[in-house]
Amino acid sequence: MNVSIQPALKSLQTAALIAVVAVVGIFVGYFIDFLITDNPEVSAPEQPIAFSHKIHAGDNEIPCQYCHTEARRSPSAGVPSVNKCMGCHNEVATESPLIRQVSEYWENKEPIPWVKVHDLPDFVHFTHKRHVQAGIACQTCHGPVETMDKISVHSRNNDGPTLLASTTGEIMNSETSAVAATQNDHWEMGLCLNCHKQHDVVDGKAVRVDDGGFDNGLDCWTCHK
Amino acid sequence: MPNIDRRDFIKLVGAGGVGVGAGVVLRESIKHPKEHLIPHVLAPEDYSSGVATWYNSVCSMCSAGCGISVRTREGRAKKIEGNPSHAVNQGGLCAVGQAGLQVLYNPDRLTGPLLQSANRGSDGFTQITWEDGLTRVASRLDVLRAAGRGNRIALLTRGVGGHLAELLESFAEGVGTDQLHHYDYDHPHALYAANERFFGKQHLPYYDLSNTRHLLSFGADYLAGWLSPVHHSLGFANSRHGGDNRGYFVQIEPRMSPSGAAADEWVPAKPGTEGILALGLAHHIVASGHYEGEDINEWKDVLSAYTLEKVAEETDVSESVLRRLAESFANASPSLAIGGDGAGNNSNGVDTLVAINALNYLAGNVGEVGGVIFNPDPAGATSHSRQANYQTLAQLAESARAGEIDVLILNDVNPVFTMPLASEFKAALAQIPFIVSLSSFIDETSALADVILPSHTYLESWGDAFPEQGVGFSIGAVSQPVIAPLYNTKATGDIVLDLARRIGKPMRWDSTEDCIKDGWNKIYQESDSNTRTESFESFWTALLKAGVWGKKNHLKTDTSRPNANTIASIGVDAPTFSGDAELYPFVLQPYRSGMHDGRAANLPWIQELPDAMTSVVYGSWVEINPKTAKDLGLTEGDLVDIESVEGAVRAPILVYPAIRPDVIAMPIGQGHTNYGRYASNRGANPLEILSPLVDDNSGNVASNATRVKIVATGKHVEIVKTGGKSRDLGRDIVQTTGGDDHTAQTNSIPITVIPT
Repeated sequence: MNVSIQPALKSLQTAALIAVVAVVGIFVGYFIDFLITDNPEVSAPEQPIAFSHKIHAGDNEIPCQYCHTEARRSPSAGVPSVNKCMGCHNEVATESPLIRQVSEYWENKEPIPWVKVHDLPDFVHFTHKRHVQAGIACQTCHGPVETMDKISVHSRNNDGPTLLASTTGEIMNSETSAVAATQNDHWEMGLCLNCHKQHDVVDGKAVRVDDGGFDNGLDCWTCHK
Repeated sequence: MPNIDRRDFIKLVGAGGVGVGAGVVLRESIKHPKEHLIPHVLAPEDYSSGVATWYNSVCSMCSAGCGISVRTREGRAKKIEGNPSHAVNQGGLCAVGQAGLQVLYNPDRLTGPLLQSANRGSDGFTQITWEDGLTRVASRLDVLRAAGRGNRIALLTRGVGGHLAELLESFAEGVGTDQLHHYDYDHPHALYAANERFFGKQHLPYYDLSNTRHLLSFGADYLAGWLSPVHHSLGFANSRHGGDNRGYFVQIEPRMSPSGAAADEWVPAKPGTEGILALGLAHHIVASGHYEGEDINEWKDVLSAYTLEKVAEETDVSESVLRRLAESFANASPSLAIGGDGAGNNSNGVDTLVAINALNYLAGNVGEVGGVIFNPDPAGATSHSRQANYQTLAQLAESARAGEIDVLILNDVNPVFTMPLASEFKAALAQIPFIVSLSSFIDETSALADVILPSHTYLESWGDAFPEQGVGFSIGAVSQPVIAPLYNTKATGDIVLDLARRIGKPMRWDSTEDCIKDGWNKIYQESDSNTRTESFESFWTALLKAGVWGKKNHLKTDTSRPNANTIASIGVDAPTFSGDAELYPFVLQPYRSGMHDGRAANLPWIQELPDAMTSVVYGSWVEINPKTAKDLGLTEGDLVDIESVEGAVRAPILVYPAIRPDVIAMPIGQGHTNYGRYASNRGANPLEILSPLVDDNSGNVASNATRVKIVATGKHVEIVKTGGKSRDLGRDIVQTTGGDDHTAQTNSIPITVIPT
């Protein structure tokens, strides 16, 4: 008698096919999510109040450190207190619906729960103080914040060297101050290393050095400590 | 390719859909989680986020009064270091001081007022409001005060110095009681009594270890616990840096302490014979012509009985060693003799310490650099005048039993733990109708309270300290809050001020801060108007910033010359011990390990800190000599009962070579039954089984005078320690040889001279 295993194989084949389709589906789904959300417009998180850096830092040219006062003194740049917001908005644009939201927080004596956009992993030690005091423009890492209505990590300029506002207020060419990050630079180790390789510290200021190779904080424990 | 029918197609579409969904979920789930940046509503003035702010304050973990600098970040205390400007500790800080953070952040800290709503001593505490708690206490106090029966109110506080002590005095006066007692287990009552008798001053002098060239320490563990250990450590280090003129340190004690281990010579005299030994040395100094004072004949008379021969017999120290010690002590200049708990806590404690004072006098060390220097009177109060000795507490217990105490107010003090069981102190407390405690923790004593009004820790409150053993000149420091209070607690001073207002006896201060400032204003007003700052406010700001204030007014007086009566009264009897020497063959020495008097046992850092001599962590142990262990057939880890006439405690054996065979030693601090999760039910408390044998001259219990026996239980436990694993599993890793063998072996090795 001929016994065929074909019927058994048939159902196995179907099961295998379903499994393959499902696995391929996972990759496709992962990729689709990447395509959709890796866009600056989408990845920028919703903030509790639609604060625009463009209006403040761009149109009205308020210096970064007017609000982020601790950038030059502390490892963290500091988020302005609600009191600071109200310092101006007691007088300015008091009737705007967004400002009304701010006054509501102030009246309730509650902090505004801003969502963190620029984040480094806990195993990276970064200090704003050193970089700001060395004359590195905020935009070098944060991108052209003054053009952004909504802050996102990836929406930095991708036009190569540009003019960047230095922390001291003067306009510096990125050739002499710092390289501008490109869109492909995620907030990863390469972003830090590229800059550290191309710059040296002279008289407390970061200076571009074209031949590179300077030992400017390239030790692992410069950041990982 | 199999034929795909309709059903299979639907299955495939389903699988594909689920897969894609899973892919999206996967990527979303491995993304960095959303974090918030929470700003201040109102920016604080005194710190920047991310930048440390340091505050100078005072450590309150013991009475040494070291200055501390506390690092704070975003309003939280992160690290405690020694204040480099403070003359007592000069930047150093001991382990217990470092662990102060764990008092602040301890998970067992009380977060608000409690009322005992079940049986006393049970876990039936329920939360109440401050208003409720204060009203309950105030109404009790008010009734008694108004009826003129204020003396039925007793206050028992841990040793509090400075202007807070004045505040407590004022409160006691207001309620009309003289029952205000400070209590620290290790307060050196015997030393004060001895100094009063010999020098006429009930003060602690400054022992200048730093400049001495020869130190005789009689049972004073000056590096690890006695008076001001951080300052002594600095002095020890300074003296040792002398090159050719390096200080020589001798430690006389039956059980080697860390100070004994650091000394050049350890002399294990019989327990309680330290004073006899001191007089033996004094006899030799006078008899051999090293002393040439006018009163030499009086000294000769009083010391005539203490010949080296007799002293050698009584102390178990050979005549030649005694002679050598006396000669080197008399010849070294300057030299210094100190007597600590090992010598002072005996039945003849005060006599012993007087004998040690006499030794300093005869060697010309009094008032000299490198010797015994008298501090000027402290600029603020110290706790000594109100410190309760054993007799005072026993008297308090007696009054309680007789129903003469209606209200007891406890402030951060735990006598139930440190008083011997024989005193029946706990049972006496049960007779008091109303007990209120201001402690931050529920300890053995606070557990008996009816109401607990938890106070701030020292890092959250105002205070000040004038370290009495000092540095040879006036010194004081302000303890300022380094962070805002973490919980719903109040400062001790503020609670007392509030109670005083409620009973209609308001004090002249509004707050503790006001009281401290007022006190320092007086110091400012009394200071030299030519050199002081323009205003008190600027002085106050500078004081808080520096964390310490001092006045170089080193005192050198000759009032310390003893008169004929004092000299005639010198003499040390043989020590007495409780317990029959046949039945109880060993003398128990409870000693301070790392946990102070037990108050640091709830700090995990201290629990896991290896003991300086044995490296044991987390537990109690019984130190016995290897010879004793061999005789009794005991090895490390054998669980034994240590029995005195009064009771027994159980702990494992630790074979310790540096202890006399007739002495056993146990560390103090463990054996809590009720002191939070880290301290409770761990180890044994040797203080429980002490006999209430009192040295009448100091009124304090002679804690080194209890005889015990060792009863094996047949059980065995592993002692947890970080070093010196006793088992080498038969591998003979550490090989040893006796001295005679060593000499024989080295002599038998032929020496070959290599020709050049």
